[in-house]
Amino acid sequence: MMDAGEATKQIQATARELLSSGSVTCVIGYEIGPRGVVRPFFAYTPAEADRLVWNDLCDHNLTVFLHDWKMPRARDQDPPRVGIVVKACDARAINVLVQERQVAREQLDVIGIVCGGMRDGEGQDAPFQARCQRCAERTPVVHDQLIGEPTVAPVRADWADVEVLEAMSPRERLAFWVGHFDRCLRCYACRQACPGCYCYECLAEQVDPLWVGIGIDFPGKYFFHVMRAYHLTGRCVDCDECERVCPVDIPVSLLNRRIAREVMELFDYTPGLSPDGPSPLTTFRPDEALPL
Amino acid sequence: MSADFEPKIVGFLCNWCSYAGADMTGTSRIPYPPNIRIIRVPCSGRVDPLFVLKAFQEGADGVLVAGCHPGDCHYADGNYHAQRRYALMHRFLDYMGIEAERLRVDWVSAAEGARFARVVDELTESVRALGPWNGEGVG
Repeated sequence: MMDAGEATKQIQATARELLSSGSVTCVIGYEIGPRGVVRPFFAYTPAEADRLVWNDLCDHNLTVFLHDWKMPRARDQDPPRVGIVVKACDARAINVLVQERQVAREQLDVIGIVCGGMRDGEGQDAPFQARCQRCAERTPVVHDQLIGEPTVAPVRADWADVEVLEAMSPRERLAFWVGHFDRCLRCYACRQACPGCYCYECLAEQVDPLWVGIGIDFPGKYFFHVMRAYHLTGRCVDCDECERVCPVDIPVSLLNRRIAREVMELFDYTPGLSPDGPSPLTTFRPDEALPL
Repeated sequence: MSADFEPKIVGFLCNWCSYAGADMTGTSRIPYPPNIRIIRVPCSGRVDPLFVLKAFQEGADGVLVAGCHPGDCHYADGNYHAQRRYALMHRFLDYMGIEAERLRVDWVSAAEGARFARVVDELTESVRALGPWNGEGVG
């Protein structure tokens, strides 16, 4: 993997070039914040490009911010062009957003980074995050610039975490989920961090029809998660941001991954590998007979 | 579970085939379990997966989604979309602690009065064997 310092220099140079040529209005990347923690950063000038960094703590999926760049700033204009730094997992979210007509591919200048994995703490001894250990790709599938040499991940995608739950009985699983959701505060951090969650009015906030209400008691919060996971069927790219941002450590990714495995097994489809899809829930084959 | 348990089944039946089929069950005077509460929708493709989840949330112990046979949909392709959605849903529900047998998706034509009775009977009995679904009492 490319050295973090070298990658940082290349990102800064690319961003500086994009911003000074006026090719983009903003470059969305990472910076080190005032408390020494990596956070998303929006560079609007070539001078600000010097604040961009890259290291193995760049957890965030920046594509979620593309939701704010969909609309033109004034009538009769196109939406502004943005540059965005993406890892392999993030890049697939771009394809999902393009496929769903949320952003136009031409609007983006994608700075892809060949990612060696994000760590769970500072220093070279900190373990890699679980999602990175099972990552099946390292090279962003969509990019306009690529920083680092393209490489293939040594580990195949594996579903061991999902299989642990599958080995339980339905009642044990129900106890598992109700036990975890007991801590849910309905803060919606999972929804806000998700690039796939861009509905103007979320199902959780609709009152007509009233799906789950806003209370923090069962069954509302159990079904909120089930319904949100179902809305991400065939769209979730498994970036696991939802789980990372949960303030009460609910293993949200286990929900989405179970559905992702079902989509893979029934339709041989991984969301976000191509901007053309076709998404399994918006298409069908007239001759198919699926297990019901 | 208690011998008095009567499952609450919610059925989403498409107007053109399965609802008409259920109507034929009635006009043919074929008895079927009274546990099912029928909601008529224009097409099985109208059945948002959230409807199924909402039914369980509101106290249903089982759900039936019934539509026209593939190829016979009144709106041409609604039941194909339903097929895709619900093929994915069974195992996910089971994974969340709602047993897969509680959701039944089937195709019932307007002429299949006897078949509708059988489908409802089978679903009612398998849900009766599973017991009530009440996540609140667990965990």
